[in-house]
Amino acid sequence: MPQTPGVDRNAFTIPVLAIAVFGVLFESEQLTKAPPPDKKVHVQYWEKWTDFEFDAMKKVVDAFNKSQDKIQVDILSISSIEDKTLMAISGGIPPDVVGLYGENVTQYADNHAVITLDDMCREAGITKEDYIPAFWNVGVVRNKLYALPSTPATTAMHYNRELFREVGLDPDKPPKTFDELFTMAEKLTKREPNGHLVRTGFMPSEPGWWNWAWGPFFGGTLWDGKDKITFNSPENVEAYDWVQSFSKKYGASAMQSFQAGFNGTFSSPQNPFMTSQNAMEIQGVWMYNFVHKFSPKLDWSAAPFPAAKPNLPDPTVIDLDVLCIPTGAKHVKEAFEFLKFVETQKGLEMLCLGQKKLTPLKKVSDGFIEHHPNPFIKLFIRMAYSKTTCAAPKLGIWSQYKDEITNATSEITLMTKTPKQALDDVTNRMQPMLDKYLARLKARGEE
Amino acid sequence: MKSISKKEGLAGLIFASPWALGFLIFMGYPLVASMYFSLCDYSVLKPPIFVGLDNYISLFKDDLFWTALKNTMLYAVLSLPAGMMTAVILAMLLNTKSKGMAAYRTFFFIPSLVPQVSLAILWRWLLDGEHGILNPILLKVGIHGPNWLGDPGWAKISLVIMGMWGVGNAMLIYLAGLQDVPTQLIEAADLDGANSWQKTLNVTLPMISPVILFNLIMGIIGTLQVFTVPYIMFPNGTPAHATYFYTEYLYDNAFRYHKMGYASAMGWIMFVMILILTIFSLKMSEKHVHYQG
Amino acid sequence: MQSQQKLILARKVLIQITLIGLSIVFLFPFAWLILTALKPIKETMTVPIKWIPSKFMWGNFYDAAVYGHDSLGYYPFVVYARNTIVLCTLIVAGTVASNSVVAYSFARLRWPGRDLAFGITLATMMVPFPVLMVPTFALFRHLEWIGTYRPLWVPSWFGSAFSIFLLRQFFRTIPFELTEAAKLDGASEWRIFRTIVLPLSKAALAVVALFSFMAAWNDFLGPLIYLLDQKNFTLSLGLQFYQSQNGGTSWNLLMAASAMVIAPVIVLFFFTQRLFIQGIAITGLKG
Repeated sequence: MPQTPGVDRNAFTIPVLAIAVFGVLFESEQLTKAPPPDKKVHVQYWEKWTDFEFDAMKKVVDAFNKSQDKIQVDILSISSIEDKTLMAISGGIPPDVVGLYGENVTQYADNHAVITLDDMCREAGITKEDYIPAFWNVGVVRNKLYALPSTPATTAMHYNRELFREVGLDPDKPPKTFDELFTMAEKLTKREPNGHLVRTGFMPSEPGWWNWAWGPFFGGTLWDGKDKITFNSPENVEAYDWVQSFSKKYGASAMQSFQAGFNGTFSSPQNPFMTSQNAMEIQGVWMYNFVHKFSPKLDWSAAPFPAAKPNLPDPTVIDLDVLCIPTGAKHVKEAFEFLKFVETQKGLEMLCLGQKKLTPLKKVSDGFIEHHPNPFIKLFIRMAYSKTTCAAPKLGIWSQYKDEITNATSEITLMTKTPKQALDDVTNRMQPMLDKYLARLKARGEE
Repeated sequence: MKSISKKEGLAGLIFASPWALGFLIFMGYPLVASMYFSLCDYSVLKPPIFVGLDNYISLFKDDLFWTALKNTMLYAVLSLPAGMMTAVILAMLLNTKSKGMAAYRTFFFIPSLVPQVSLAILWRWLLDGEHGILNPILLKVGIHGPNWLGDPGWAKISLVIMGMWGVGNAMLIYLAGLQDVPTQLIEAADLDGANSWQKTLNVTLPMISPVILFNLIMGIIGTLQVFTVPYIMFPNGTPAHATYFYTEYLYDNAFRYHKMGYASAMGWIMFVMILILTIFSLKMSEKHVHYQG
Repeated sequence: MQSQQKLILARKVLIQITLIGLSIVFLFPFAWLILTALKPIKETMTVPIKWIPSKFMWGNFYDAAVYGHDSLGYYPFVVYARNTIVLCTLIVAGTVASNSVVAYSFARLRWPGRDLAFGITLATMMVPFPVLMVPTFALFRHLEWIGTYRPLWVPSWFGSAFSIFLLRQFFRTIPFELTEAAKLDGASEWRIFRTIVLPLSKAALAVVALFSFMAAWNDFLGPLIYLLDQKNFTLSLGLQFYQSQNGGTSWNLLMAASAMVIAPVIVLFFFTQRLFIQGIAITGLKG
């Protein structure tokens, strides 16, 4: 109370608190302050990887930093990188190098969020000819190069040899055609009398990451390359009829309830492939890492995925991580010096071996295959040259198109729509969006 | 009533100035800007292009917009009463003078403190129809549990149940309201021979009705913006968009499809909806809310 | 009399049983979190469920705390904890300081347009966050604040509707006679505010401080949008770091880290909850 004579204790509280807060404020400014400048040019590099994949890239970065004394690359691990980079570019503070997903490239290129690399590559002698075409092409949008490959992946059939033996199948003879796949899957499937699934041989929706690839596996396309969405083409309908045939055979709800349990378990010992609950699966080159970590005793093999049609052998999905230089990067020249270092055979092999993947280059050094921990690495390299590769289409609206396909696949497997109906719906929804998108690109003077 | 003295008025303005500044910078400007963006084709990377009402017109023709809106409304209609009832009941239990109250209060509040990322993962493990923890327990008491996460209908119910579990904040506010109910009133009811049920219905609930109204409005705002948990638990609104909510579609449009203008239009539609619902609740409550003093 | 006492006792027992039962329901997922945190990685997510770890891996907590040190060169958990504390301090200080001043103006000073301004404040509570997200980002980018802590704490120094509302309701319950007397003695508004109103409002200020502390501690979206450098992350955002993309998530470490993130808040709540509830009660959301 103010009437009290003598020292007012409250009079001190506020200044003391104020000084304390000021101290913390100072600390917070220190924490986010840029490091003191040295003579080197600092290149900011953002990557999406964590854990051992990050460590593999860190090694390459360290090697680069040691190889010369003018440029210092600072690598950062960034979560949801495709969103954050966009924000940083629009915020005017982009990194100098960013590791995106291959399927982001078109969207970024259309927005001029990443710069073209053609001239610098030509000067540096980085040429198309050295790369496996399927991987190089991911970075090309409308004949301009926007991204260079970092670590690539292809997919193949992964199957459980133990289960093959158990049901009397030859573990050295995985299915070659989709018909064989269907009948073998039937043999491998275990059901309770009430229809309840205990084990499946194969499910098109597991892991469900490439729901859009079934059409291309059947010879379909997702768009005509110009201005038409072709998702409801006869080939695609045929593909999703096949997807639905599993639901028809085993019951949509039985499959749904069996599979619901796997959602979110991919990266765990509970992964259905590792618990022998799913015998055959389409998976990428990374699957080895997971089996090795969570279920090292599993007896498994990888083989080319069966062909839907005789003229479309060895179907595979091209899944690639890339390096780009964002628009507005402060040290483009130095950033490209780093890219040049990574894109050498030595750099790429150091990186890809560290991540236990194949390299995007046609040539590999002696011993790369022999020393590779993944026993099927040769197969994955072979798949990269397959006649039936499919990669995400170069559409600026791909992220939304893909979400639509995922949802349509869910409707098809739940049998709430016929494949034809679901495909028509997606096509009718996406066509106007594509029209509008292209019209706006044109209005901005781009093609 | 004295007339406002100049000195006091000046002091008032000075004291309120942080708010005035904050309102103009962090609320006023963004509101006006987002209104403008909602009339533009805007991808953040390129300057916005004015397109008039195009975004709003496209939205009304967008099936997914309606699906997301329907899902969100249904979720709100189920989740709001369920959550409010849970919170009131918990608060009433906590208001009885039983032993160990400090511990119970903390226990009931803990779910509100668990980080959302971990929360979503935990619930997946618990509810999973095939390998989860809940269904085997239900089976022991003779209930054949549903496919909580896989069935389009049950997936929404699962989210409602999860919502009931995280009512900690509302519970605390009710509890505070209950502690504010004058004991004389309860004693008077006791003397009149009212039983617990009658006391609750005729004394306690009317006395905390302003708190209920407050929580109702906060609940409307919160449930209509439901985002993090479904976003992590049901990616892409699986199964078949049954759990695809309004804010998810807004977020996807803004940050994944780079349609900031479209997303801003969605934001404004939501703002107007919340405003209408709030005014509606305030009007409806005029008869039922009892203000003390 | 005897029978009535029995009835009361029976009621008490019934309430206790209900409370214990509900506690189990509410603590169950949390207990599961702790149990998972103590498991070896092979025993997470097994079928049939393994309730109790075969071996209690107390070391998981240590592993979670030092996780990532090898590749990053610093201890992420420790660094994130420090960042979070720094940020929370600034936010709590700003929330308490600014809102008490503003609420005082709204509650006890008369100036033209005050009630309208207060109405607007309440209305801002209804603006959904996503509406503001894009332009606010544009604003901070203009100020070149992206990648610093400023977008996260500076706004808290300019008042927030919820806290203004709570404090205003409370300040209005302080008898006007108390301040009128001081005013007649010629005390300035600042002096009245600081020497009379603030000392009487400790409980209400504590509520505002706690609410803002918990919100800041758990905030996910804000740091996600504005912080870029991994070493500036906060704990709630840093948890994502435990989820590896292609290498296999260490669920046990993720849960151990989560437990360590929640623990301080639980302890804080346990010891302050009485004050907390009292504070809300006297602020009384009575309108």
